Amino acid sequence: MISLENVTKKYGTMTAADGVSYTVNRGEFFALLGPNGAGKTTIVRMILGFSRPTKGTISINGIPAGRPASRKKTGYLAESHRLPPYLSGQEYLMRHASFCGLTGGSAKKAVGDILELVGMNGSEKKKASSYSKGMSQRIGLGAALLGNPELLVLDEPVSGLDPLGMRDVRVILEEFKNRGNTIILNSHLLSEVEKLCDTAAIMNKGRIVIKDSISCIVQDHETLEDVFIRHVEGKGIRK
Amino acid sequence: MSNLIRIAFFTIKDQMRQKSFYLLLAVAVLFILLIRSCYHGDYSVNGQKLDNVSVAWHASLLVFHIIAAGMFLMTSMISMGVFSRDSEDGSLVMFLSRSVGRWQYALGRIAGIWLLAAAFMFILHLTIFLIVLANTGGMIAGYLTASLLCSVNLLFAIVLTFFLSLYLPNFMAALFTLGIIGISFISDGAYQAMNNQLVQLFVSGDSPVSTWRIYYPKVYMLQQHASTFISHNQFEGMGQMDAWLNVALYTVVLAAVLLLDFHRREV
Repeated sequence: MISLENVTKKYGTMTAADGVSYTVNRGEFFALLGPNGAGKTTIVRMILGFSRPTKGTISINGIPAGRPASRKKTGYLAESHRLPPYLSGQEYLMRHASFCGLTGGSAKKAVGDILELVGMNGSEKKKASSYSKGMSQRIGLGAALLGNPELLVLDEPVSGLDPLGMRDVRVILEEFKNRGNTIILNSHLLSEVEKLCDTAAIMNKGRIVIKDSISCIVQDHETLEDVFIRHVEGKGIRK
Repeated sequence: MSNLIRIAFFTIKDQMRQKSFYLLLAVAVLFILLIRSCYHGDYSVNGQKLDNVSVAWHASLLVFHIIAAGMFLMTSMISMGVFSRDSEDGSLVMFLSRSVGRWQYALGRIAGIWLLAAAFMFILHLTIFLIVLANTGGMIAGYLTASLLCSVNLLFAIVLTFFLSLYLPNFMAALFTLGIIGISFISDGAYQAMNNQLVQLFVSGDSPVSTWRIYYPKVYMLQQHASTFISHNQFEGMGQMDAWLNVALYTVVLAAVLLLDFHRREV
């Protein structure tokens, strides 16, 4: 479904991604892990076409990333999701719905269903400027889920959410995955990743240091956090 | 509905959501209504009293130019912050995370502001048209046509401001746009004035034409040409279509460079 081949991204002299290659198959729940500044968001931005690789290629379903057609069945939630302050949550979702080809009654119904799914019923008519970070995040997740996307790209989706919100998101993502859809998740919450994801890649200083299924990455008596620290710090695990 | 039209529609809706838009429109219409007394006054030239229709016609022509020129200020002010605001408030990500091309986004924004500005200008010109009709019973033929033709100038101003805002701070982009348009008014206006028959009686010889002036955006000349639809005077200074071609060409080239640059940029 998604293929990255030798992707390098340089900002001046700084290399944000260095020869990154991996494939995410259809129906896979893939986690991209790494410390701050590892290059995870850079990779996500290149998948969405917001940024272009200095070298290498990225394709979604065989279509080069960056082309509008590659995002036709893609939902995206940014790390620090922002909503235009003059729009209400409902208006924001209606706009997304219109770009998904939904109009009139079908758009209203889809938006209503999404509002219920992300727990924003009752607050949908308030202006986004009055939303808390968690509420904005819920609306952003709703927008990503609109139009039945086949691929969901989530950059820190539970950022700003309380434990209940985090649980809700986990349930939504599990349901989404069970429908055979693909998810790419950037997250620092390793316990969540361990519960949800099939495969993971750990990035450090722009490179992928390990990529495998969660069951292969996490060895006996280890947690994903232990593996993460070992690969990022290159030290033994303190028990 | 294509994405471009959809974004243009959202742009108009978002601009009309702002109270400042209605305030500006109300102030402009109020200003026009306040000067309606000009159409009632007794005016005389060389002791001869002018008739109401003649006064209304001249006053309307003057106000036509004032409105058309004033619209440059409004369009550049609206256009200057579009890219940076969209980038800051998440609108850009909202559009481009969907299957929307960057060119559709940029052209949609430009089209939306252009349609809104053209409608704004048309309303102001229509107000003048109706005032004259109510006061003198006469219709100024070509007044509304000239207004629509002048909207091409607004498109140029919008595209230029969008283009400059990619490289300059917002306010500077608007200021540069107004400066470029201002130079067009000063250079072509002065040239036209120097070649006026009355001035020619006092100034001997033709004033020389600098090469840069020939290729400079002919915003002023386009407005002058549009106003000939009202005055029915012969358009002097250049060919009938030259000013249109000049401004249209500048607009198309600027839009092409803008899209090319925007396509390569990091969002």
